[in-house]
Amino acid sequence: MKVGIPHFGFDTLALKGFIEELGAEVVLPPPTSKRTVEIGVKLAPELVCMPFKITLGNFAEALERGADTLLMAAGARKCRFGYYHFLQEQALRQIKQDFRLVPVSQYSASGFIFKLIPELFGVSPLRVMRAVCRLLVKSALTRDFRRLLNRKRAVDFAGAEQVKGPVMSLIDRARTISEMKRARREMVRLFGINGKRADIRIGLVGEIFYTVDQRANQEIEKELARLGAEVVFERCLYNHLRYLLHIDAGYRRSRRLARPYLAECPGGEAIRTVGEARQFVMQGVDGIVQVFPFTCMPENIALEALQRISEQSGVPLLYLSFDEHTSTTGLVTRLEAFVELLRRRKYARRVSGN
Amino acid sequence: MHEGFLGIDVGSISTKGVVIDRDYRVIAYRYLRTQGNPIGSIRQLLKELGSEVDSRLRILGAGTTGSARRLAGVMIQADIVKNEIIAHAVAAGTYYPDVQTVLEIGGQDSKIIILRDGIPVDFAMNTVCAAGTGSFLDHQAARLQIPIEEFGARALRAKNRVSIAGRCTVFAESDMIHKAQLGVPTDDIIAGLCDAIVRNYLNTVAKGKEIRPRILFQGGVAANVGVRAAFERALGQEITVPEYFLVMGAIGAAILAAEATRGQASRFAGFEVARTEFATRVFECDGCPNRCEVVETLRGAEVIDRYGDRCGKWSEN
Repeated sequence: MKVGIPHFGFDTLALKGFIEELGAEVVLPPPTSKRTVEIGVKLAPELVCMPFKITLGNFAEALERGADTLLMAAGARKCRFGYYHFLQEQALRQIKQDFRLVPVSQYSASGFIFKLIPELFGVSPLRVMRAVCRLLVKSALTRDFRRLLNRKRAVDFAGAEQVKGPVMSLIDRARTISEMKRARREMVRLFGINGKRADIRIGLVGEIFYTVDQRANQEIEKELARLGAEVVFERCLYNHLRYLLHIDAGYRRSRRLARPYLAECPGGEAIRTVGEARQFVMQGVDGIVQVFPFTCMPENIALEALQRISEQSGVPLLYLSFDEHTSTTGLVTRLEAFVELLRRRKYARRVSGN
Repeated sequence: MHEGFLGIDVGSISTKGVVIDRDYRVIAYRYLRTQGNPIGSIRQLLKELGSEVDSRLRILGAGTTGSARRLAGVMIQADIVKNEIIAHAVAAGTYYPDVQTVLEIGGQDSKIIILRDGIPVDFAMNTVCAAGTGSFLDHQAARLQIPIEEFGARALRAKNRVSIAGRCTVFAESDMIHKAQLGVPTDDIIAGLCDAIVRNYLNTVAKGKEIRPRILFQGGVAANVGVRAAFERALGQEITVPEYFLVMGAIGAAILAAEATRGQASRFAGFEVARTEFATRVFECDGCPNRCEVVETLRGAEVIDRYGDRCGKWSEN
């Protein structure tokens, strides 16, 4: 069995490790590129959102590389993305017949551990549980990788880019918990910054795929780092897994913080977006950036709340919606202006405070 | 000999240039159409500004802004290359220290900048569509065969303001045609269009922003008295149109150049750049499936700049 999965930012490494842990071969699609998006756009209904199109393009490219089984997150509790695997399977039949697309329901941990995965991979539930444990540890590692990378490249861009590749292969190679511990120590050493920190910190919130996948969001964290701003975030595979396993205190905190602005969840991750934005404001970030696919209803509702939070707290907000037409030039102009504005504000305030 | 600073703002529709003195007063300015050829318009701009001021003035610093800021920057060897949001904010804050809101509508984009105590604190730009920007007004004026300069004044003569759907230019145009076929006078339709543009702007670009006085209206569309009046009516407040509303971005670039070069020699290549041949070449990198479009700027046969690649393979070497 050759298993194809879509990309999910740096967290792809953790997902890959999970499937390998179950004894299957992983066929990773090439990094998401213009070609990936073009394939996705061509195969997909026009008005469907970008995460659908990009993951569809990933699947098409994984099939080209010889994948025969595709795994896609499913479960329509949160937004229509949960239904997308039906459509994706049909769309992919246009280019290939002999494959299967297995929807992985996100909202039944017991079904996942005792039925779906054991049957699919022919392994015991015990082995699945071990793999899940390792997945949790590894996704914490990929999260911290992203945090440390953001911290370092905001102050030492070239240095961070240099060690990025080596650290990623360290993480990729680590299988057992103790190997991961060793990889972590090495990562912390390589990402050392000698106490230097960026003067501007930006909280990144929004729809999960766009906050996590660097290729989808056109490397927004890298661009901001180039401008000397450090991006902090909460959205990542690790926190999502904890939420699915009901061991995530972050979600309850988000709910509580979001309540004055958004009492009910309108779908998607709107509650998290709002809650995390407030959390970042309380932690003293200089600005908030919200990213989401164009036409994403939950995030558009969250935006209304974010605008009020920004107004009341005085922390500027930049919201960016993406579709296949989003130009890098326009994006960079906005990011550049945003960071400059944050810096001018900060500098001016310090002067007037003296 | 006098001393001054040069600012160039190259947008998709127009190319603007100013020369200001040490007190940031405008000595000379030009407003040209880009006509899809920024290199040609930048050279023309330098030629015209140069012949006006070069004999009596030394340029101590040069800055560029606008969507072709990078190209303009490498051509003239600018001291500073800044995005148009900061450039507009700086010019507005310098000329009007009490400004709190800048409404800017240009040829293809529109933005709002919020300032407090002279510092830009928030901004927004139109995202996916150019509804209600200068190009659309141009197009409608041409369709109705009214010179664009008179377009706004016709709106002021309206007796009844009709309602035009302004969310999207396609719908706006069909709605205008529909109203015309009903026999509604052209002036009333134009007034309705001005209202629609303002409504669209306030509901999209300016959504969620607190618009406090003093309010500046700049960019090409500020020339349109109809839109100006529609803004005043919608906001219930007075709008200030700066004297140099067309070239505020360029003024901002010049001011930023003055700040950046304080005490340092300028890199500016001189107005004779107008006589140098420049070209840009675009090629697709085949290093990975991303197939980035790499843009090369050439002075004569020499490559002086490369950008557009994600990975830095071309731009950082």
